[in-house]
Amino acid sequence: MQPVAGIGLRSPHLAEIARDRPATGFLEIHAENYLGNSPAHRIVERLREDYEFSVHAVGLSLGSVDGLDEAHLDRVVALIHRLEPTLVSDHLSWSLADGRYFNDLLPLPYTEEALQVVERNVHHLQERLGRRVLVENPSCYLAFAHSTLSEPEFLAELTRRTGCGLLLDANNIVVTAHNLRLDARAWLQGLPPAAIGQYHLAGHAVNDADGEPVLIDDHGSRVGEGVWSLFGEIVRRYGPRPTLVEWDTDLPALDVLLDEARQAGRALGVEAEANARAA
Amino acid sequence: MLELRELQGAFAAHLKGEDRPDLTEAVVGDTISAAARLRIHRHHVGQSLVGALASTFPTVQAIVGEAFFRALAEGFILRELPAQPVLAEYGAGLPAYVSEYGPAAALPYLADMAQLDWALNLAFHAPLEDRLTASGLAGLPAERLFDLKPALAAGSTLLRSPYPIDRIWHASQPGATVGTVSLEEGPASVLILRRPDDAAFASLDTVEEIFLAALVEGSSLGEAAEAAVSVEPAVDPSRILGRLLALEAFAALQHSS
Repeated sequence: MQPVAGIGLRSPHLAEIARDRPATGFLEIHAENYLGNSPAHRIVERLREDYEFSVHAVGLSLGSVDGLDEAHLDRVVALIHRLEPTLVSDHLSWSLADGRYFNDLLPLPYTEEALQVVERNVHHLQERLGRRVLVENPSCYLAFAHSTLSEPEFLAELTRRTGCGLLLDANNIVVTAHNLRLDARAWLQGLPPAAIGQYHLAGHAVNDADGEPVLIDDHGSRVGEGVWSLFGEIVRRYGPRPTLVEWDTDLPALDVLLDEARQAGRALGVEAEANARAA
Repeated sequence: MLELRELQGAFAAHLKGEDRPDLTEAVVGDTISAAARLRIHRHHVGQSLVGALASTFPTVQAIVGEAFFRALAEGFILRELPAQPVLAEYGAGLPAYVSEYGPAAALPYLADMAQLDWALNLAFHAPLEDRLTASGLAGLPAERLFDLKPALAAGSTLLRSPYPIDRIWHASQPGATVGTVSLEEGPASVLILRRPDDAAFASLDTVEEIFLAALVEGSSLGEAAEAAVSVEPAVDPSRILGRLLALEAFAALQHSS
């Protein structure tokens, strides 16, 4: 895929996109929303003829100590084989324990033990898919006292051991850095450039915890200035990559989302035509 | 130091509302305490699952309002978390939970509305198969037609209620024009179906319901017709079959013979 900007495909926009086929670099779907047989599935299969796709999973639970849920994995594998997207990704997090699914991207301690668990799960996922996947840095609200690696060190080592790629989410870096008192620009140092396969951009909310501001990754607004600024730094350091603008709550009119994606395209320094291949 | 298995178990228990000092100790706290940081995750899991249930049970929420629905959903979530990550498949147990939910006792029909919402959700996510049409039956000799046992299309549910759930559903839609519904309007039978672009239900009269229920239980068309005639001698079974075919209620016949 060219290093273009694309948008998340959300059901309230589906009919409009299917009708108007707006120009955008690619479309990204959440795998877990397309494992049934709803009418949306057929629309996506038709859109696939005109757009490149990215399939972003949110529920594989790559950090689960018990391994991946095989029944769920079977369905995700079938979707990916049917859709043949250009990019496939999930997060450095866990959400399944003891057969219960917690609808959140839950944090891992960054230890050798956790690294071995994620390594095993990513290996298995890539074997089942027969392709490389991208692993995304999560938004963190807490850190574990017994972590021995930084998040970027953990991710870099994971790519070395599994051959997986990285999905760098600029908003998540800003959120994590704020909440864990880290330096976002320092976070960027030392990542393996060749492993970076995609960028994500999104808006976040500011909530209150113990009377202090805490940033919440809610994908419910325009990309903030701090995130644009960090994104500029990322592009300068690692070069352009396919970039997604995510918007999941308080969804705006499609034009607003497309406008955000155009801004991301300009930040990537790619020509407008490259972002309009599907026009 | 918690091993990863213990940590994930403790975290899961925390998310279900338990106090886990061992987990709090493992989390770095500063001017934002470890407990407050952990609560962000508990809050997110609860809020997002309430939202998922509200999408799956829109009629229940429209009837009781957002605050009442939130309390109901939070109680259900504590009892039954999703077993897998597809949230559209979460909530099968909610109708039963509603039927036992004390604060909803004054709304005896609410559990049946939850069943209707769930059936519409199942139909919406069901595969769109070829349907049996009148022309698909044309040319069949009468004996073959009588012996036929057509199966309901994938994702269909036949739902019976002592309450007028079809009228209540219509009255609960945004911009509804139906006024007040009286529970005295009596029982309703509805057939919920996947359609090409959505899911919908059709209201059935008593004889149609008896005819279709017989088929659902495995009877042949001939037996279903007898069941219908036995309660309503004047009924024309071919009219009932014609209506069900027009609704595209049945899966297309398998071409095996």
